[in-house]
Amino acid sequence: MYFTGIDLGSTMTKVVIVNEDQETCSSVIKHTGAEHRRLANKVIEEAMEQANLSFDEISYVIATGYGRINVPFADRQITELTCHARGVYSLFPNVTIAIDIGGQDAKGLRIKNGKLVDFVMSDKCAAGTGRFLEVIADALGLKLEDFGEISLKSTTKVSISSTCTVFAQQEVISRLSEGVPLEDIVAGLHDAIASRVARMVRRLRIEPDVVFTGGVAKNIGVVKALQDSLGCEVLVPEEPLLSGAIGAALLARELTLEALAKGEPIQRGKRRLEEATFFK
Amino acid sequence: MPYFMGIDIGSGSSKGVITEDGKLLAYNLLPSGVNYRTVSQQLRNELLDKAGLSPEDITYIVATGQGSANVPFSDQQITDIRCCARGINSIFPSVRTVIDVQGQSSQVIRLNEKGQVVNFVISEKCAAGSGRFIDVIANVLQLELEDIGPLSLKSDNPVVFTTACAVFGESEAVSRVSEGIAKEDILAGVHQALAEKLASLVDRVGLEEQCAISGGGGLNIGLIKRLEEKLGVQLLVPPQPQFVTALGAAILAEEVSEAKEPAVTE
Repeated sequence: MYFTGIDLGSTMTKVVIVNEDQETCSSVIKHTGAEHRRLANKVIEEAMEQANLSFDEISYVIATGYGRINVPFADRQITELTCHARGVYSLFPNVTIAIDIGGQDAKGLRIKNGKLVDFVMSDKCAAGTGRFLEVIADALGLKLEDFGEISLKSTTKVSISSTCTVFAQQEVISRLSEGVPLEDIVAGLHDAIASRVARMVRRLRIEPDVVFTGGVAKNIGVVKALQDSLGCEVLVPEEPLLSGAIGAALLARELTLEALAKGEPIQRGKRRLEEATFFK
Repeated sequence: MPYFMGIDIGSGSSKGVITEDGKLLAYNLLPSGVNYRTVSQQLRNELLDKAGLSPEDITYIVATGQGSANVPFSDQQITDIRCCARGINSIFPSVRTVIDVQGQSSQVIRLNEKGQVVNFVISEKCAAGSGRFIDVIANVLQLELEDIGPLSLKSDNPVVFTTACAVFGESEAVSRVSEGIAKEDILAGVHQALAEKLASLVDRVGLEEQCAISGGGGLNIGLIKRLEEKLGVQLLVPPQPQFVTALGAAILAEEVSEAKEPAVTE
């Protein structure tokens, strides 16, 4: 039996397929973009192809994330908080605090024995999300994925005084025109996002292990800045984008096996492998 | 004849005026750019040219605005809150509340009959409360700033923005455009969102009639209409709203130098 989790994020769409033994058979990560807002089915198809599976062989599909509604091929929708908690727990069994910084929000989760017990979230403002760095990388004509390495060269961080992304973009351009080295500015941006998220997450009481996921966790500069802000070590999974989809796939497996064990029917969705509408 | 100068270095544009006997003699506006020192000097030279005066003719110069510390030739700096209040008072003596909407911040000021500040509140932390929010969306829609106000008034069905954040608002506008929603409906929605934010600032200082609008926001008829609806009052709009603060600075320059009131160092 195979189980699929699809995490439709604002920026990235992620699919994971696991087998009965909780082993990952395949995983695919694609930009959500305008295309995959509709064609999320393509991302699942790609994952099935990788694992050499047909849709009929998938026992259960769970959709999670920002765009999880209106997914015609999913059997069930579960919130990203629950899926994240499950996914992170499977990767780091001692996790107490999970911090996820995505393209359009930031979350802190308190996890006890793999279950979500408390959370904090920020999605009202682009500051403190991946979007903050994306907008500024764009304005500087740099690739976001280079930011981490660039910031490691910094010797004197510049403090960014603007909270607002729009104003920070302008501030960065003024600093550059004053001749401040790029690496010091980028390091300052990482500090700004890390301290903002740390301030929010501290409400959950920080205890190890702290795990950091989401696209921004790929940025080594933010990882270091977050460690400094929190004053403790921060663990990052090998692929920080996948924890939500892994959690969804594992929950799909658990729900199916539980139902089978009890001899109950499995609650199914429409299971049509066709276009999803991100919003209705 | 004594002449006075007010220089207002804002985040987006720099404004200057010269007054003679409390009357406006010349005014000028330049984009602020990245070097406030250079722009302030250029602003002064162009103003003097327009007025046909030389630097020695100016008795006293007050600098204001976020770049006021970078005006090397000024005699004194005064906050833009105080200058705005004084400026609006000279134009509309009856005004007791002024909503000053600038490119990067907004402020609501309550003033007395002498043009002195009684209370004020500033929104400067984020683009959501400033003209910048509208700039960002106008850019998405590829419209000129001067066109957006009138265009927004054509809407009967304003889009509701789920976010106040200018960055997320930009994405929302892009999504609405791709859904085929009319530009005027998107614009009306942005004006509505900004008007609501400004109205919440007005609530904090208390609305007292008469109420005026100043700053670049005073050029936007779409914003004025939404704000009037939201506040339930008619706004007084000065002829050159973006010069109100610079005018106030020049008037205060005269008053300070003539020791009509004791000089206050900010």
